Amino acid sequence: MSNKINPIVVAPEELHEKLAALKAEGYDFLECLTGCDWEEEGLGVVYSLTKSSTTFEMTHIKCVANDKENPTLPTVSDLWDIANIYEREVYDFYGIIFIGHPDMRRLFLREDWVGFPMRKNDHPEEKNAEIPSTNEEISDTRHKYMIDADGKLVCEDSPVFAEDAYVVNIGPQHPSTHGVLHLRTAIEGERVKQIDPHLGYIHRGIEKLSENMTYPQTLALTDRMDYLGAMQTRHALCMCIEQAMGIEVSPRVQVIRTIMDELQRIDSHILFFSCLCQDLGATTAFLYGFRDREEVLKIFEKTTGGRLIINYNMIGGVAHDLHPDFVKDVKHFINETMPKGLKEYHSIFTGNVIFRNRSIGVGPLSREQVISYGCTGGTGRAAGWHCDLRKHRPYAAYNQVKFNEITYESGDSMDRYMVRLKEIEESCEIIRQLIDNIPEGPIQEKLKPIVKVPEGCYYSAVEGSRGILGVYLESKGDKSPYRLHYRSTGLPLVAALDEACRNYMIADLITIGGTMDYIIPDIDR
Amino acid sequence: MANTSYFAGLIGGIKSLCTGLGVTFRELWTPKITERYPENRKENHIPERFRGTLVMPHNENNEHKCIGCGICQMQCPNGTIKVETKMVETADGKKKKQLVRYVYDHGCCMYCMLCTRACPQGAIEFSPEYEGAVFARESLFKVLNQPGSKCVEKPARPAAAKPAAATEGAKPAVAQPQTADADAAKAKAEKMAAAAKKAAENAAAARAAANEAKAAAEANAADTALQEAWKEAEAKALKLETAAKNFAQKAAEAAADVK
Amino acid sequence: MFDFSVFTSWLDAALLSVMPGWLTILVECVLVALGIITLYAIFAMVMIYVERKFCAFVQCRLGPDRVGPWGTIQVVCDVLKMLTKEIVSLRKTDRFLHALAPFLVVTASMTTFACLPWNKGAQILDFNVGVFFFLAIGSIGVVGILLAGWSANNKYSLIGAMRAGAQIISYELSIGMVMLTMICLTGTMSFSEICQNQAEGGWYIFRGHFVALAAFIVYLIAGNAECNRGPFDLPESESELTAGYHTEYSGMDFGFYYLAEYLNLFICAGMASTIFLGGWAPFVIPGLDGFNEVMAIIPGFVWFLVKVFFVLFLLLWERWTFPRLRIDQILTLEWKYLIPISMLLLVLMALCVSLGLTF
Repeated sequence: MSNKINPIVVAPEELHEKLAALKAEGYDFLECLTGCDWEEEGLGVVYSLTKSSTTFEMTHIKCVANDKENPTLPTVSDLWDIANIYEREVYDFYGIIFIGHPDMRRLFLREDWVGFPMRKNDHPEEKNAEIPSTNEEISDTRHKYMIDADGKLVCEDSPVFAEDAYVVNIGPQHPSTHGVLHLRTAIEGERVKQIDPHLGYIHRGIEKLSENMTYPQTLALTDRMDYLGAMQTRHALCMCIEQAMGIEVSPRVQVIRTIMDELQRIDSHILFFSCLCQDLGATTAFLYGFRDREEVLKIFEKTTGGRLIINYNMIGGVAHDLHPDFVKDVKHFINETMPKGLKEYHSIFTGNVIFRNRSIGVGPLSREQVISYGCTGGTGRAAGWHCDLRKHRPYAAYNQVKFNEITYESGDSMDRYMVRLKEIEESCEIIRQLIDNIPEGPIQEKLKPIVKVPEGCYYSAVEGSRGILGVYLESKGDKSPYRLHYRSTGLPLVAALDEACRNYMIADLITIGGTMDYIIPDIDR
Repeated sequence: MANTSYFAGLIGGIKSLCTGLGVTFRELWTPKITERYPENRKENHIPERFRGTLVMPHNENNEHKCIGCGICQMQCPNGTIKVETKMVETADGKKKKQLVRYVYDHGCCMYCMLCTRACPQGAIEFSPEYEGAVFARESLFKVLNQPGSKCVEKPARPAAAKPAAATEGAKPAVAQPQTADADAAKAKAEKMAAAAKKAAENAAAARAAANEAKAAAEANAADTALQEAWKEAEAKALKLETAAKNFAQKAAEAAADVK
Repeated sequence: MFDFSVFTSWLDAALLSVMPGWLTILVECVLVALGIITLYAIFAMVMIYVERKFCAFVQCRLGPDRVGPWGTIQVVCDVLKMLTKEIVSLRKTDRFLHALAPFLVVTASMTTFACLPWNKGAQILDFNVGVFFFLAIGSIGVVGILLAGWSANNKYSLIGAMRAGAQIISYELSIGMVMLTMICLTGTMSFSEICQNQAEGGWYIFRGHFVALAAFIVYLIAGNAECNRGPFDLPESESELTAGYHTEYSGMDFGFYYLAEYLNLFICAGMASTIFLGGWAPFVIPGLDGFNEVMAIIPGFVWFLVKVFFVLFLLLWERWTFPRLRIDQILTLEWKYLIPISMLLLVLMALCVSLGLTF
């Protein structure tokens, strides 16, 4: 199975028309939007579109801007809501201006940053020699670029918030943003009127760093993005590189990776439960979750030597063979600890009248909205979108197991919560089917001393703990990637926060944020 | 819960609250899970694969296995390892790299295992030693080779081969005399012979390139770039020739072992 | 049963014999004030320790266990830390109100603390309208919270204070109503008489049977909300407003809020045990004279404390079980459930008393 993609090249003038036509054809989910600097070819974007129906076929469109110095492309933010924030990311890193985009501000970098660091010829360390010692002045102005009748670029400014808005900063240091997320929230009394997420406090430039690293070295960074989906992220990258190189990993490795992914998913969902309880003030249930999660971490620790930062998947295999106790421990966990734990979670929290009143009907997202915002994972499935890649684009050993894709209808906070708790059960079921028949075989394929991916573009995706985690890899045949882009699972969730929270209360913002289940280092890659 | 009536809602609510109270009441009497560190240091079992810090095991003669090749340093994604070496002349007049200091910056390490997996000698490994906190940042820089230690001579490789050794290694494993297993020795000798042949070929090619460069440089004495290129090619050829010689010698040794 | 007034009248007489009347009163006042402050501090520390241990045990943890045996000295260390911390003064705050607010809160809670009947004859403030006084003084605390939120010039504080205003004032209605229900039964508003009645005729929670039991539960819920304790800790709600109205306080200014919060909980439990569980009155079963005599040997203040800690256990238990309510839910609970229920209870109690259906 090859994951090589051949993007269809479209001229900027025809881009919007073409994408609109594809959207009408059924490619209505913008899975990934990757900016790239192809040097002499110019700067541009690869749009990865997916049929959101059960087939999940993909098509890739490449569009290169005409002008190399001041590149412009037409916006597609009117077609997909998520394009709004994706295009801001591309603008931030590549300086491509999207004509007609309503809010062309930087997304991750400081507003006083000079240059566009992901361009191949940009030298950020020279242009930004001094580390600023002042607070960042956050701009309250949106920029909308248009082409006027003379073909000149004009900028229309508009304020982000209304003049009399009462803006409260939720974050960057805040107990329930789960990291350094900054939500500028306009409120009216207790009601939230608008949220403007301000990102990038812990952006490490992993994508840029990877461009100067060998392939094995890039692996070391994946665990640090979505730290509750470390196995899955690394699985995605390893799978992408392996498929690109035509390496077939042994069935043993496939099964081990599947089990590990599911354990990681359980780990993540337990933490989701715990943190939600903590956010809603039920500190006791928080610790019950942590108590049970410890067992997963112990299983990880025994086999892989890591608890949070695991470093387990390797190109062509896994780092260690399973620990002799692995099967026994996992069985104990899925057959005893987890059913008991879930029963307790349901009686102390799920059924609780206070929690039910705080979550039912709070912050609903419709199926159309989640597709437009690209909210995959539990958030998407809560709204009734069948978006589980394990079912629709099976990888590793997922086609050997039977499990249910949990979906709900209304997409409110309660459904988002229930999806995750039910998925713990399904993950246990998957592990139960695999744990007794782990095939024998090598745990590591033989590789050449230096890993080189043949020239081309590649895209692989896995179902991470909180949605579709894609890896876009472009190689020029070197030992380092030319461009490595991760489709973050958290960014769409934060983008949808404004829509989901509008006209709900401050306390609901916490509930909605908690049930969206975003992880900040995954947003700020 | 808009569709439930006032009283049903009230009673259902009270019931759910009581269920919750029941759970916490039961938990009040369950065994506690707190780990009493540091009192439990003795019984606190850390899995052996846990990566706490990088170590270089030494044997009873204060010898380690590091040959100073620097592959670990090259593999490290963020410059955690500095291998300081010097060239020494061995008794039989050969030049040989020797480890001076193996500096490991514990504060920088990501525990990604690229170094240990790449090490052709199995000289470094991770230990589950987890109490790594120190008072000053400088103390995090650790010299892993013990004072006065030296590389083990003719090291006998442990029988259990490292899994997937040298996956990312930049070179094939350097010659290692085998134990008295005749078959293995023979295979080794063959391998060595092949390696020696290859090295000789490489050396010859490099020599040819150097000669070419020399000719070009001599023809164009004014062009400094060509001069540089010549010098470089010359150095490379020399290096490869030495390597070829070494390989040839080792191949001969291996052949002798077979006999 | 030991009557504490024996000791107080002896002290009064002894002082009067050596000094004039006005000085006696002054000395007595100072002694009493010192007594209150000491008790206040000690009970705050005990409460903090009890709460930390209790919540740890519910959460499968051990809680503080490093300083002193079973961590008992931990709280002392925390208090010392709090006392030595710098009080940060901020620009653009209303300095005077900002400094005043914690004192209002502490004063209110100390004064209500003084209303508690510790033992027979051991009461500091005892009026014939004691219940009334208690309610009136207790409401001063909310002024302190509102001032804290307003003066800090912080948006979180302000939102927290607004919530506190809405919440505390609403819940005072149910507390008043429940108190009224019980006054129907007691026929007096003086705490000493309430206790005395219960010592003679049995605890009101038994005498008022199911009406009193329901009133007891309503009182616990409303009292908990008055104290800003979880699940009603909206004014602070650390996951929404970081620390609500006391976000900008540091050092002992913050410590005062902390003290007051715990002591208010103690006072709430103390009031519940005074009105419903007989205060210092021992547990007696009519007819079992031997048992009753043994019970009567146990001093009154021990009875009082045992009851208070029982009620505290109930309060802590629910605090560490439930998630926090939302502001609209908290007001719904009060206005749509508790107030109608407490009104109904008042009517029922009046009927019971007039028809002689109580014991």
